Amino acid sequence: MVLKRVYKKNQLLVGTTGKKQKKTVFDWINVVVLVAFAIICAYPLVYVLAGSFNQGKDYINGGIFLWPRVFSTENYWVVINDVRLWKSYGITIARTIVGTLTGVLFTAMIAYAMSRPNLIGKKIYYYVFIITMFFSGGLIPFFWVILEIGLFDTFWVYIIPALFSVYNMLVFVNFFKTIPEEIHESAIMDGASEFKIFFRIILPLSTPVIATIGLWIAVGHWNSFFDTMIYTSNNNLWTLQYYLMKVIKESSLPPTGSSLPADFLENIAPETVSLAAIIVSVVPIFAFYPLIFKSLTSGVIIGSLKG
Amino acid sequence: MWKLKYDKLIDTDIGTRVGGTKKKIWNKTAVQLLLMVIPGIIFVAIFCYLPMFGIILAFKDGDGQLNVLEAMMNTEWVGFDNFIAFFNDPDFGNVMINTLGLNSLMLLINFPAPIIFAILLSELPFKRIRKAIQTVTYFPYFLSWITYGGIVLALINSDGIINSILMSCNIIQSPLDIAGSPEWFWPLIIITSLLKGLGWGSIIYIAAIAGIDPQLYEAARMDGANRWYRITKITIPMISPTIVLFLILSISGILNNGFDQIWVFRNLTNLARSEVLDTFIYQYGVVLQNYSFTTAVGLFKSVISITLLTIGNLIAKRITGKGII
Repeated sequence: MVLKRVYKKNQLLVGTTGKKQKKTVFDWINVVVLVAFAIICAYPLVYVLAGSFNQGKDYINGGIFLWPRVFSTENYWVVINDVRLWKSYGITIARTIVGTLTGVLFTAMIAYAMSRPNLIGKKIYYYVFIITMFFSGGLIPFFWVILEIGLFDTFWVYIIPALFSVYNMLVFVNFFKTIPEEIHESAIMDGASEFKIFFRIILPLSTPVIATIGLWIAVGHWNSFFDTMIYTSNNNLWTLQYYLMKVIKESSLPPTGSSLPADFLENIAPETVSLAAIIVSVVPIFAFYPLIFKSLTSGVIIGSLKG
Repeated sequence: MWKLKYDKLIDTDIGTRVGGTKKKIWNKTAVQLLLMVIPGIIFVAIFCYLPMFGIILAFKDGDGQLNVLEAMMNTEWVGFDNFIAFFNDPDFGNVMINTLGLNSLMLLINFPAPIIFAILLSELPFKRIRKAIQTVTYFPYFLSWITYGGIVLALINSDGIINSILMSCNIIQSPLDIAGSPEWFWPLIIITSLLKGLGWGSIIYIAAIAGIDPQLYEAARMDGANRWYRITKITIPMISPTIVLFLILSISGILNNGFDQIWVFRNLTNLARSEVLDTFIYQYGVVLQNYSFTTAVGLFKSVISITLLTIGNLIAKRITGKGII
């Protein structure tokens, strides 16, 4: 009930100032400061976009701040001709889709059981789960487990360890508890099993919270590179971020080989190529940003709701 | 991060919502629920509790072994030798200075910044501008540190905009090597954290401010309270539980740095100021395979963080009457 009210009002965008008030000097200074900060936040992307469309040879001379001086799409040609980019893009898309679907389902199912009053031994499970939020074995013991269960250097090392998150489970539990008990009771009367109730009734009723947590998980998958660095050694398992790290940190020019003409390569610089690679990797985040913004800002309210 | 609310969850135990009447505990639905929760238990057993068992590595002499299992099983117990080795390590002082120094600066600057930002934003009388600012400033948070780091490295390059501006204003004569100098590493981390995380970091406080009863402000306005008074006497006290919660969580994380962020800006030339505990563990554990030594370092980190969390929780309980755990 509370949730609905919050969603409608979209309180996050309502301030403490009343409706009609005279604007003071403070208001004007405030707006200037905040807008300036927003511009500083947004500017780096403009810079990268301009640089990525500029000829590499010319970019090195500096001075490209807002738009390209010598316009060229060569950087993008180099990037999209790099097989490693498409491979890692594919791996990242696959892990994001598979990881998000399985992660949401797995966590939500456990959360559903944990939200039911007649789960036996619930209190014990809560402690078992919550301890893991505060204490962990650390990097090397975790690495050992990954090796021992045979996940090392497989695609599943991206999926399975990310299946479950205690934190997300708690958010789900909070939400499931707001669903009226009568819905559950009448389903039981009709002879539905708990599995059926979960998949047919609870999940469809929980779309806002599923969207929120799903997007969290998806963004996490998209941006992750640490697991590639540690738990894989196979080049075919490179994720997009790992590929980017290679391009940026080691400023390694993609092995262009025979696919591009020699005179074309003369004007190329690693700097602008990595800028183009950055833009290519950011496009999906940018495309989904309206959804992410809407869902996650309201999601914070779900998380912060009392009880 | 969202506010943790599990304290309330624990209270609801078996049978409190079954409607008061005593029902058979082991019925069909109870078994089905158990089947649903077991995968979660198995998951934490494998990925959380099994690694905890691996902590025995910290008390064994497993450095230089071929693999982690070897290091764990066929080695001598050495007590606290690995910890002593860490405290006597020539890098210990430097790594601790970098970890604690960076995180103290973060607490001092990056912790209050989102609070101030949230208050300023909530005082903004222009709704559309407010939404636009939120939309723009939240965005960088969703980029990876690799991406954002790549962008920043381009900006601070010798031909990047930062050096160009400084040079055209005659503040410097030759371009600064920001990415390659140890003395620039901390400012780089602080500033990039602010630019990337400040917007999104403010959202939890914006939510808290949005939850304040508007009547309080109305009443204060009636009484002639000015803006400063409204902020310091209503807004800040009303959001202080949220502030305390996140302060405790930040303090307990004083030995954790964002690995991704440090990693993207860390290089061989700025190592003197960029080597922190997390990168140290990676370097010595994964790269150099000193399994026991780095497990000990990791355990040291965990113990400090859980101690700080417990102390913080106790203090919060003493002051506000309600802890976070």
